[in-house]
Amino acid sequence: MQRQQQVKIPTKRNRKRRVLSALARVSLFTVLGATSVAAKAVTVKVTDEEGQPVNEAVVWFESSQLTKQSAITKLDYKMGQRDRAFTPHILVVPKGAQVSFPNYDSILHHVYSFSAAQPFEFKLYRDNPQALTFANTGVVELGCNIHDWMLGYILVVDSTHFAITNDKGVADVSLSKPVAQDVTIHVWHEGFADLDQPESIKMTTLKTNQTLTYQLNQSLFKPKEDFSDEFDDYE
Amino acid sequence: MNLTTMNRSQVVSACLLSGALSASPLVYGQSAQHKGFIQASWQSASEYASWYERGASVNRFGAGDDRLNLSRAVLDSRFDLSSSWSAHSVVQYVPDPDSKVGFTELYAQYKPISKGAYQPQLRVGGFYPKMSLENPDIGWSSPYNYNYSALNAWLGEELRVFGLEASLKRSGKRLKTPSDHNWQWFVGVYKGNDPTGAVLSWRGFSSHDRQSVFNESLRLRPTAGFMSPQLSGQAWQIEPFTEIDGRFGYYIGAHWSYQNRHSLRAYWYDNNGDPAIVNYDTGQYAWDTKFWSLAYKFKITRQTHLIAQAMSGNTAMGRARGVDNDFDTQFVLLTHRWKKFRISGRIEQFQVKDLDHWTFDPNASDGGAITTTLKWRLTDSWRLGAEFQYLETKVANRADGNFPTRQIEQLWRVSGEYRF
Repeated sequence: MQRQQQVKIPTKRNRKRRVLSALARVSLFTVLGATSVAAKAVTVKVTDEEGQPVNEAVVWFESSQLTKQSAITKLDYKMGQRDRAFTPHILVVPKGAQVSFPNYDSILHHVYSFSAAQPFEFKLYRDNPQALTFANTGVVELGCNIHDWMLGYILVVDSTHFAITNDKGVADVSLSKPVAQDVTIHVWHEGFADLDQPESIKMTTLKTNQTLTYQLNQSLFKPKEDFSDEFDDYE
Repeated sequence: MNLTTMNRSQVVSACLLSGALSASPLVYGQSAQHKGFIQASWQSASEYASWYERGASVNRFGAGDDRLNLSRAVLDSRFDLSSSWSAHSVVQYVPDPDSKVGFTELYAQYKPISKGAYQPQLRVGGFYPKMSLENPDIGWSSPYNYNYSALNAWLGEELRVFGLEASLKRSGKRLKTPSDHNWQWFVGVYKGNDPTGAVLSWRGFSSHDRQSVFNESLRLRPTAGFMSPQLSGQAWQIEPFTEIDGRFGYYIGAHWSYQNRHSLRAYWYDNNGDPAIVNYDTGQYAWDTKFWSLAYKFKITRQTHLIAQAMSGNTAMGRARGVDNDFDTQFVLLTHRWKKFRISGRIEQFQVKDLDHWTFDPNASDGGAITTTLKWRLTDSWRLGAEFQYLETKVANRADGNFPTRQIEQLWRVSGEYRF
């Protein structure tokens, strides 16, 4: 049995937002007696302005009370290239994590980024992966100098509590114990007008096994259908 | 490759490349990529001997060639010299007419990563201008039909530039106001493509997948025109990539693409040949050859693509342009990919119009073809396919050898390929 409580919390408006939508709303679903939940996590559902679920939105929590889990930072993060596409399309890593770039294709990729957070370039041959430590937070947009249509993102966050929404718009962010003081929830999506500006909202408390709904306060650029094929590099 | 038969620009580009390659591991570490394939084919043969067997057929495999053979092998290599510079070589083998191995491309490329919307690029060496959309696979192969369109078969046998190509690309998505339109503009300056047009004039268009190597010498059937005093300086073979008149040729081109779905390539090519110049040692004339080419690709769906190309131009040789021909050709190709299969159909026509008054040397020819191909990608490495081609050609100078001027051929080809 669940009792639903909805709380409206004003957000700080971003001047760069082109869409002046209604204030972001966070619905707090306080789960009572949810004994069946095994892993301790906060479920965040991200919706667009029309209330439709948003896939591939990145959600992370920042708080002075949240201790960073070094095990998460030491995980083996991979930004691969398969069939001339970055896989995953979006990778979230905590600050200080190392990311390797395995090339699963049989052809060379020339991966680069001009991002402020981590500019770099690699020529990636098959079976010769390179790795890089991402020491600064921010959005690292990836491109390939051989396959111009390839696009990927590494989001470096100052947190080890993060997740990406699934096609139902749901992200389960692990939280082993409740946070009793200010906590900031950040949401980022590649369809944002300004990729360097995640949306944020401050909350006073965050309980484990809590369910939230975050409604974006901007409309998203819709990605175009991908027509790329293996012969598009003949240019 | 025989050094003595290379012209100066070929030698220069080979030296530049080998020098760069030997230096590259020192400055940039080991960094090379080799791709390629070996293809075996059986093709039903023409009734007549192939043109390079001095026959009257326009096919690669003429009378007596209907046996399984190693039809092509390609080694396409890339050597990274620095972040922006790379060296590229394509070596090909063909069995016809007498087991030939050589470079079909050898060049250095400058392609820096660029932060802004504009990216400059350079290519230096011997290479194809990228005016076609039918041949994007490794070694300038067609992923669609085995036998290229007459248009691109001609480019493969008679066109290569030895020089410099500069281009500027404008990436729409990186503009301050992002756009779905991408542009790339090209200009090329080169030498060594002077006899281009000769094969077209004396043999006519053909449909095949045999690309000429740098020091190629293409044999022709000696027509009555070759016996005339006016053409006594002309050898019975064509060396299409040699430099005769010492003049530079040029081309300009523009690529436009929209949403990675529509692609258009327009080129104007002029080898700037001086038709009065002849090299009596090799029997090669400089031909004044110029044409425009327009190629279009439309991805109707992700699986179904349409490719079309048209070309129109003129070629002439001799002090008074004794051989003077207009030529044009067009094709439309539809291809559909389904799971591990690709089926492609192409329809085309071509003609060479004889404008000169040398009646002893008729150059008129025309024809068309319908080609259907099924290719099956068994694994990443193994591929199989079959092709049927209906080919009709009419070549005026076949009458010299008492051959019927019109040939109608129905050709089958089965090919298997190992890729690496």
